[in-house]
Amino acid sequence: MTVTETETAMNAIDAAAARLLDAERSGVPCAPIRDLITGVEDAYAVQERLTLGRLAEGRRLVGRKIGLTSAAVQRQLGVREPDFGMLYADMAVPDGAEVPVGAVLQPRAEAEVALVLEADLTHERHTVADLIRATAFALPAIEVCGSRVRDWDITLADTVADNASSGMYVLGTRPVALGGLDLRLAGMVLERRGEPVSTGTGAACLGHPLNAALWLADTLVRLGRPLRAGDTVLTGALGPMVAVAPGDVLEARIDGLGDVRVAFAATNSEEETS
Amino acid sequence: MNAPQAADPQAADPQAADPRAVDPQPVTPQLVAHLAATLDEAALAHRTVARLTDTTDLDLAAAYRVQRAVIDRRLARGEALIGVKMGFTSRAKMMQMGVDDVIWGLLTDAMLVEEGGVLDPAELIHPRIEPEIAFLIGSPLSGTVTPAEAVRAIAGVAVAYEVLDSRYADFDFTLPDVIADNASAAGFGFGTWHDPAGLDLSNLGLLVEIDGRVVTSGSSAAILGNPLRSLIAAARLAAEAGLELRPGWVVLAGAATAAMPLPGGVHVRVSAAGLGRAEVTTR
Repeated sequence: MTVTETETAMNAIDAAAARLLDAERSGVPCAPIRDLITGVEDAYAVQERLTLGRLAEGRRLVGRKIGLTSAAVQRQLGVREPDFGMLYADMAVPDGAEVPVGAVLQPRAEAEVALVLEADLTHERHTVADLIRATAFALPAIEVCGSRVRDWDITLADTVADNASSGMYVLGTRPVALGGLDLRLAGMVLERRGEPVSTGTGAACLGHPLNAALWLADTLVRLGRPLRAGDTVLTGALGPMVAVAPGDVLEARIDGLGDVRVAFAATNSEEETS
Repeated sequence: MNAPQAADPQAADPQAADPRAVDPQPVTPQLVAHLAATLDEAALAHRTVARLTDTTDLDLAAAYRVQRAVIDRRLARGEALIGVKMGFTSRAKMMQMGVDDVIWGLLTDAMLVEEGGVLDPAELIHPRIEPEIAFLIGSPLSGTVTPAEAVRAIAGVAVAYEVLDSRYADFDFTLPDVIADNASAAGFGFGTWHDPAGLDLSNLGLLVEIDGRVVTSGSSAAILGNPLRSLIAAARLAAEAGLELRPGWVVLAGAATAAMPLPGGVHVRVSAAGLGRAEVTTR
């Protein structure tokens, strides 16, 4: 690459990062960034640019989320690999607490298995045994995904650059040891007002949520920011993602892991009419 | 139905001259028998037929009369009634069909595939398979029953599969069509019966593997939020049909996932958390 080509690529990455940041700050979704950059490596460079900015603001990195873990979503986006994004401490919501209006752009929810680590995962390649030994416990989780890209009009490049379309997340409060769990056959139901709006199993997440976590551990070592003791890993959706509306309360139950809830604040205008 | 004679245009109602126009005539016992024969012969010949509602104005009650007549033809051939299957037990399916209640079909012993047995897709039109939860009835159940009564009537619960095979092209049907067609029932099988006591059936993971590869997975929560609700609905529909769920009958509670195409020459395994597996091989 010549100096000019490198500069152009850097400018494109800056421009993509700036567009996503502007959408986040203004609360107005932006056009896709895929036309600005070429390829998934550039997309991760955009994400890294945003990560460095967030860390410089003092936000605390507490883990990662894995996305694109279902066969259906991979087919839809024409990809064969999952992706990941950063989890910061300020993205965590306590069980049952309310997500304020506008906190997540174009929110959608999905239920997942969360793993909390008690050891670093720094090998070039990890085995399932490494991962199980490094996992302190599992928790049920709801991820509130969001997209800074207008109408969720995303390709792989768009979602990777946009921190894997992350928003906020809620963890359950009763830690469960992996030993007692059959995560592959664990049923998942996400309910709104007692009605199942999304159902699935652990097998829907790359065959097993631990498969997704293994991919993440190896990938992060390659990219130079490995998983550390204390990190939370949201391993990926166990069923279809659902759109949420102001006022919604969702409860997720994962067989063997228990349950967890998230509420969405009603808008003022809706409160007046209801 | 009496098709108008083309040779006498004066006698023909212009509407009835269009073979696709809905026939306003009442659904007589003769017409029910004729429609049932159409569907039954289609199943025997492994071919599709035009939707009944293309030519006949069927309401749900009439559609269930056709379904019963289809089953009566099978019973007359020596088959025995051994259970029921519940359909449209997922909210998504209900919304798609524009209905707010479940439907049912009747199961005969000829539809039962022995556990680990072989199924010949050549005897079917365009079979699909879906993972289910099945109940074995231990004591008679009919009418409005409480969850406690329903649980007491269960002798066993098992992971099951249902093979669907609509007698309409591309599974393209209206609600009365699919009811008349016995809710697309074609075959079923189940694994080992388990004691339901102490089992929470509301959120069991279910998997379908074809030749060892997972093709779909879901949760029993997709069945009305809890398969037990489907059993309660079956008892209600039984009473409405003048039947009761009898000891030894099997109730297929509904699917945990969308139905998957069932090709020939494969091995299918359906698993449910805590309930083991049911397997079938296709020729």
